[in-house]
Amino acid sequence: MAEILTAKKLAIKVSICLAVLVAVMALCAMVGTQKISLKKVFAGPGQEPGQNIDYEILVGVRLPRVILAALVGAALACSGVVLQAILRNPLADPYILGISSGAGLGVITAVISGITWKFWGGSPIAVFAFVGALATVWLVWCIGHLTGKSQVTSLLLAGVVINAFFSAVIMFLISIAKSEQLRSTVLWLMGNIIEKDPAVLGVSTVCILAGIIALFSISHRLNILTFGQEEAKGLGVDTAKTTAIAFGLAAFTTAIAVSLSGLIGFVGLIVPHGVRLVFGPDHRQLLPVSAIIGGAFLVVADTLARIIVAPAQLPVGVITAIAGGPFFLVLLAKYSRKVSWLK
Amino acid sequence: MSGIIEVKDLNFGYTPQSTILKALSFEVIQGRFVGIAGPNGAGKTTLLNLLCGLLRSKAGSIKIDSVPIESYSARKLAKKVAVVRQEFVPVFDFCVAEVVSMARTPYLSTFGFESDTDKKIIDEALEMTDTARFASRPLANLSGGERQRVFIARALAQNTDILLLDEPTTFLDLKHQVGIYDLLKRMQLEKGKTIVVVTHDINLSTQYCDEILLLGADSSYQYGSAKDVFSPHKIEKVFGVRGFAGKIGTEKFFLPLGKFAKDAHIITTNINSTTKK
Repeated sequence: MAEILTAKKLAIKVSICLAVLVAVMALCAMVGTQKISLKKVFAGPGQEPGQNIDYEILVGVRLPRVILAALVGAALACSGVVLQAILRNPLADPYILGISSGAGLGVITAVISGITWKFWGGSPIAVFAFVGALATVWLVWCIGHLTGKSQVTSLLLAGVVINAFFSAVIMFLISIAKSEQLRSTVLWLMGNIIEKDPAVLGVSTVCILAGIIALFSISHRLNILTFGQEEAKGLGVDTAKTTAIAFGLAAFTTAIAVSLSGLIGFVGLIVPHGVRLVFGPDHRQLLPVSAIIGGAFLVVADTLARIIVAPAQLPVGVITAIAGGPFFLVLLAKYSRKVSWLK
Repeated sequence: MSGIIEVKDLNFGYTPQSTILKALSFEVIQGRFVGIAGPNGAGKTTLLNLLCGLLRSKAGSIKIDSVPIESYSARKLAKKVAVVRQEFVPVFDFCVAEVVSMARTPYLSTFGFESDTDKKIIDEALEMTDTARFASRPLANLSGGERQRVFIARALAQNTDILLLDEPTTFLDLKHQVGIYDLLKRMQLEKGKTIVVVTHDINLSTQYCDEILLLGADSSYQYGSAKDVFSPHKIEKVFGVRGFAGKIGTEKFFLPLGKFAKDAHIITTNINSTTKK
């Protein structure tokens, strides 16, 4: 009688969304300045490098990039969902609690200090971003718990203050940086999906997927947390523990995403809202579907970033902001009558 | 036996210096309907929060079914005690059925989905509270009275022996006030639930409650049958208000009168005259 989400209904919806994601990834991998013949790709790699260019471009360059975009999109959308739930704030996004400025500070410190060592054969910028992001979130969490009764408000305030303070430090460092250092920092700040080493991609995939599955396991408790701490306790939720787990996992997945691809805005804000408008607010559904749609959204955005000004490339953050805004407005206009906080 | 609340020598204050509840002792018997009344700031909601484990007392004990409340995990307590707070609109747009289904959370496993038994309980709760007809509507689109019924449905679906309610009729019109009390009485009589309701409504609680706990602003308290506790004299003393007290049939009532009421001069001289008849 009552319309409640069942495991079966969820499985069907998630399967359909996954099919869409795979289709989008396949299509986007085929698109680009270099036309690719599937026939050649299926012939397999040549005896020597350079013999089958089509195969090498698709498998060696485009597929890893498409997978990376899907991963980053999924991570950002998921932590957007979680932070909106635990902060009970529709305006929350993955960066609201200082992750962006912390990672940014890590990156600019790495660039300016001119470090030369390598990490997994690449630049250690990602490591600095990851450490900066997690350290900042930890700082915000501690400050948020120092102050007072309403955890949510003090967390938000601590996040806003730390973000503002670190942004000021970043601006200071940018103003004293040399011009060649500036370019790499600014590019990072705009968000960029760049092909990664397969090992890095593998480890990140495992971490992000594990984070999403762990978040899914507490998703029914997130539903109740959106009603506030008192209500959640009354329904048997250990609110302190659940909030800490949700917050930690969201910070962890976001930190990985940020260290992989820099600051990509809008995905973590609009994808959860879009999915909520269409599918409803139940987090058991909202979380996995947002992860999948977030992945697909960023794959498409990154493909556009690759081809719009080809052979040059745009930072994907520019595309997500330009395309995401209007797309979200269309959704709002269509569904706003269903949603109370818009009235 | 289940659904018993024992409070003994309870003390509570929000700061070390302040005391709101002092040496409070009372016992709620299984399946009774108890009202908690008193002026603003007397500690009614504080006591409710202590009874549902949201606050911890400094001294004294609260036992639910003979077990100290501190010994319950949040989850176990949620299977014993359900709370209905003053109605509010949630941030996100959950529909009525979704809100009521949240009551089953303490019974779900990890990756929890409601079983057929859970769904049956949810449907029953929706039926009993007459909320089934708008089960798929968002909570935000309902009136205050309808929303309050949804939260009562949720508490019912939580399948607890004890139900605590914080001023469930505050923003409702007369019809809905009576409707809520009728619903609570049915839950007491048909389901055998112990019901504790914080209330400002002396007349409705006199009609419906078996016992009243009247908290004074000075940490004093009275506990007993509604008809004893709500004597005009005690009402005047605790609330600082005078009025007409009377009886129609077997129902007692109290009508507060302000200084500027037309009949104010009558009650200032003899408050008890009407009740003695």
